[in-house]
Amino acid sequence: MPLDTSTYDLALLRVDGRRWNELRRLDGQIRTQAAADGSSYLEMGNTKVMCVVSGPSEDKRRGQTSASTATGSNAADVAVSVVVAGFSSVDRKKRGRGDKRIQELQTTISKALASNLHTHLYPRSTISISLNVLSQDGSLLAALINASTLALIDAGIPMTDYLVACTAGSTSSYAANDDRADPLVDLNNQEEQELPFLTMATLGATDKVAVLVCESRVQVSRLEGMMAAAADACKGVRDFLDQVIREKGHKMVTEGTIEKGASMAIEIDA
Amino acid sequence: MPREAEPSLNERAFVVQALQEGLRLDGRAFDQFRGLDLKFGDHYGVADVTLGKTRVLANVSAEVTAPYIDRPFDGIFTITTELSPMASPAFEVNRPTETEVLLSRLLEKTVRRSNALDTESLCLIAGQKCWSIRVDLHVLSHDGNLIDGSCLAVVAALRHFRRPDTSIEGETLTVYTPAEREPVPLSWLHSPFCITFSFYGEEGEIMLLDATLLEEQLRVSSCIISLNKHGEICQIAKLGGTPVEAVSLIQCASAALTKGKELSTLLDQKLAEDSKRRDKGGLLAELSAENER
Repeated sequence: MPLDTSTYDLALLRVDGRRWNELRRLDGQIRTQAAADGSSYLEMGNTKVMCVVSGPSEDKRRGQTSASTATGSNAADVAVSVVVAGFSSVDRKKRGRGDKRIQELQTTISKALASNLHTHLYPRSTISISLNVLSQDGSLLAALINASTLALIDAGIPMTDYLVACTAGSTSSYAANDDRADPLVDLNNQEEQELPFLTMATLGATDKVAVLVCESRVQVSRLEGMMAAAADACKGVRDFLDQVIREKGHKMVTEGTIEKGASMAIEIDA
Repeated sequence: MPREAEPSLNERAFVVQALQEGLRLDGRAFDQFRGLDLKFGDHYGVADVTLGKTRVLANVSAEVTAPYIDRPFDGIFTITTELSPMASPAFEVNRPTETEVLLSRLLEKTVRRSNALDTESLCLIAGQKCWSIRVDLHVLSHDGNLIDGSCLAVVAALRHFRRPDTSIEGETLTVYTPAEREPVPLSWLHSPFCITFSFYGEEGEIMLLDATLLEEQLRVSSCIISLNKHGEICQIAKLGGTPVEAVSLIQCASAALTKGKELSTLLDQKLAEDSKRRDKGGLLAELSAENER
């Protein structure tokens, strides 16, 4: 609570020295687990998450903890399970399996991915995604979505476009009705505690919104600005994810792990 | 695990085709609610919301307990939802379905986290005694749009509720029976309302309000916006589903504001009617311990 983001007005710099439209340092890796079908590791500032994808595999009874999209038998189920490590935040909090907040996260990620992936290509099968949160510092849902996108690409599951997410906040609280409020992007934990914010996931570089979650009180008039800022930030995240994939692809070709296909549309020699 | 019967292919094609031609099965406009009825029970704090064939009952109760150790100055406020097999065969007792988890999370975010009820006013003796306000939500019949109905029922029941009056003299806390002193309303800060939008079509270009169960099963994505009449958004939840243009979500927010104001007026009017009904011969003003200052 004893934080102070009110100094923002003085220098237009945020608590960690960023401008309003700057993302935190992003670091991503794919194919981190050799045994998995697809895996990734993503850092957005101090938020660190790991993702492992297995499948598409034959349908089996799913555990109760994983949320899945029951779309009938003619499309693959996307089962997501999120595990938040006890050491991930400052206070070690024991979270039960039936934590509703976690269940909501799982459902959100699962539904968002299911509409983006071409699940109809894998009837009667399950794509299971397990996400591990290693460190939390704000923008958790956004990091989880980005990490699962990376891992799904590694697993080679066809999708429409990258599903990228980012948070956006507003510098004024809901009570203050000042017009000068700036939107902020990619909030850290400190800022999330103080300011109204939303998490938005868009489809690639388009303005199509797959996920929009806002849990704080904010004026309706402020929504448009926040969403515009989030959409811009999502484009930045998309470019970053794309770069991670391309670099890994380039490395694998130069190392001779895979052969460069004749039909490969991507120019990886650059 | 029992599941809701899925609509057949023909039904699916028919409803979607009709929507594309601008028609709903029950002939409503796209932004029109079903017949909405709100009734209060004989006791304080019982609200019964009927929305077409959907029916939800909320009941508020209060008791004196010890506050949480980490929050000695706050009272306790809980909302419990119960989706029994009575409402739909897809619901089971003691096994929360996805619908139930999302519903209770949503009410939690809309009513509790947005500070609609001032929990500090529930504190009686700091760290020792406080009021625990509990809302029990029962879904009696499920025909779509549970969320909007439930939220209205919870807010209406809480605003209708009266807790026993109390006084503290020195170290002794007295809780008065309704016969001794007229019960007092809760300290209510703002009334949030949930509005659910359902999207249809390849790109989610068709937008419906107050979808029935059949329409809910066929939607490609949904967006729930909670706001109060002052235009403050308390919560937005578009949890996945087909991506929708950002512009249409902003349109949703302004449509939700209009609808929220309508619901707010309706609730105020119903509460006024009810208090008039209870106030036989204008005795209530005399019984009340409060005075105009």
